[in-house]
Amino acid sequence: MSLSTVDAAATTVPPEDPAVKGIEGRTPLQLVVQRLRTDRVAIISVVVIVLIIALAIGAPLIAAITGHGPTDTNVDNGTDANGQPLPPGSAGYLLGTDNLGRDILVRIAYGARVSLIVGVVATAIATIVGVVVGLFAGYYGGWLDSILARIMDVVLSFPYVLFAIVLVSVFGSSLPLTILVIAFFSFAAIGRIVRGQALSQREKEYVEAAHSLGAGNMRIMFVDILPNLVAPVIVLATLLIPTAIIFEATLSFLGLGIALPTPSWGNMLSDAEGVGFQAWWFYIFPMIFLLLTTLAFNLLGDAVRDALDPRTERIFAGRRKKKPA
Amino acid sequence: MPDTAVDGDVLLNADEIVKHFPIKEGIFFKHQVGSVKAVDGVSLKVRRGETLGLVGETGCGKSTLARCIMRLFPLTSGHLTFDGADLSKLSRSQMRPYRRGMQMIFQDPYGSLNSRRRVGSIIGDPLAIHNIASGDERKKRVQGLMEVVGLNPEHYNRFPAEFSGGQRQRIGVARALALHPKLIVCDEPVSALDVSIQAQIINLLEDLQGEFGLTYVFIAHDLAVVQHVSDRVAVMYLGKIVEVADVKDLYSTPRHPYTNALLSASVVADPDKARVRDRIILTGDVPSPINPPSGCRFHTRCPKAQAICSTEEPLLQSAAGDPAGHMTACHFPVAEGEKLASGKATILHAVEGFLAEAPS
Repeated sequence: MSLSTVDAAATTVPPEDPAVKGIEGRTPLQLVVQRLRTDRVAIISVVVIVLIIALAIGAPLIAAITGHGPTDTNVDNGTDANGQPLPPGSAGYLLGTDNLGRDILVRIAYGARVSLIVGVVATAIATIVGVVVGLFAGYYGGWLDSILARIMDVVLSFPYVLFAIVLVSVFGSSLPLTILVIAFFSFAAIGRIVRGQALSQREKEYVEAAHSLGAGNMRIMFVDILPNLVAPVIVLATLLIPTAIIFEATLSFLGLGIALPTPSWGNMLSDAEGVGFQAWWFYIFPMIFLLLTTLAFNLLGDAVRDALDPRTERIFAGRRKKKPA
Repeated sequence: MPDTAVDGDVLLNADEIVKHFPIKEGIFFKHQVGSVKAVDGVSLKVRRGETLGLVGETGCGKSTLARCIMRLFPLTSGHLTFDGADLSKLSRSQMRPYRRGMQMIFQDPYGSLNSRRRVGSIIGDPLAIHNIASGDERKKRVQGLMEVVGLNPEHYNRFPAEFSGGQRQRIGVARALALHPKLIVCDEPVSALDVSIQAQIINLLEDLQGEFGLTYVFIAHDLAVVQHVSDRVAVMYLGKIVEVADVKDLYSTPRHPYTNALLSASVVADPDKARVRDRIILTGDVPSPINPPSGCRFHTRCPKAQAICSTEEPLLQSAAGDPAGHMTACHFPVAEGEKLASGKATILHAVEGFLAEAPS
């Protein structure tokens, strides 16, 4: 029995028209990449980030070309006749030297390594932990959610600098400790967003459908819900990188992060304390690089968010500065 | 409540199914302040190979009953037997092997498909979950399923967003078919679709029933659709079944006043017939399932209600002269040819009469 006579014809699938192949659907990733490629701010940000990565990777090369290691004090030619640091543009020292005669360009290149490693590794750890904690809290709800959500609230309201001082005084400052401290204070930002998204996603009918197929909780969380959270997580993670870099610079500036003489942009700034206007190149160059890096990551994060969901306007409006341009 | 008299091979037996959702209050220490009595003592038998239609207003507990049958959440009380196995007390992981025998098609073809996953992986999900097939074997079976439901197997790698509503519902059907279940619970499978597409999906479901020997529990609020697909129909009101009968009996001699009202409200395609027939227009809203009326739940809106209706709950039983399978939960079942009073309908008739007499 048939409700209407057109059904038989309508249920058969028309053969694929070769001319229609041209509008074959694109994957979401292709769409995002395509939108990013038309975004000038995104392109510039990516170029800046790639250059800084190249600087970090090529740091030993720069050291080899100039002949100065990052911690070499260059007793013979690093300072002028009066023992004063060399200004930028001096022979062999493009960005000048500091008060100990160390090459600022080489130190900045090595500092880029620290900043990027801390930014990326701390963000990766924070993202993984945040996603797992947020998913469990949001999906299971109940007492587990109460405990995890309260923990995240506590972490977010913690005076992290004081906490870092205590940790460093106990364990001594080191790169891994810096990364762990930053990851610990960053995961809650991602965890809270993921929790909220998971809370709304778990009520969707596709979750019920997965349940009716016999899928377990783990499968529903990581195979069904997680792909729906990728967009906000990518955006947040991109925006977390500059935060982590600034966090590292802050800790190093206070002497709680990367210990001297290993260079980092933060402790180079701290080294420049008290030099005033005379030796401006001590602090101007680390500052410029720090600013460029964080600005590039922030703008890229903005662009990625716009590309992932062009319809949504500024989900994190409260947390974000307005995009210049 | 006695069992609905059903002979033959019973595939699914629901006995006094109750599902109450607790209402909790309090910020730190939650305590229960009441419950939504979504399904409140429903007994049903579904024969192997038949289609049982389930109709009722929005909010009467149809979908909750469907999810009880699928055991998507624990039952408050009652027994559920499927193919001889008692499912009523099984935990989520204990339920898993039984899910191969029963599947569900959802109402919303948009929300029920994960928009971030490819169609091939959505349809292949049941095969992956139950470790039935993997790799190329899974892909082959998924493409076979896509062909069965009338989708182009070449669209294996597309995302749900690239399909129309009707095609999406076909994806849902293919997913439900993947495990070769015995029972498919269709929760309003066509109400979100255009009328022309509805017919396609319904015909597809009917073809599949013949091909795979499926049993359907078919939920809808469209009485015409239910009449078309069902062998038997159960009418639900506020968490209870008020009438069950073979589809012919129910549509020709509805006994329960609520069934009468529902049938009189359905659209008749012939305007001349539509004008002369009696419409029973129910006044008021459906009472809250948090605090359902005493006695017969329909008595607050029933044109035939008497004192006993508000005190004593009527049993679901055969009225005099009805076949054994026709059961009604009413103290005063409607006799054949009886006209039910309805205040608003009278006014409507008066207006229509006035318009008819007016010189044109």
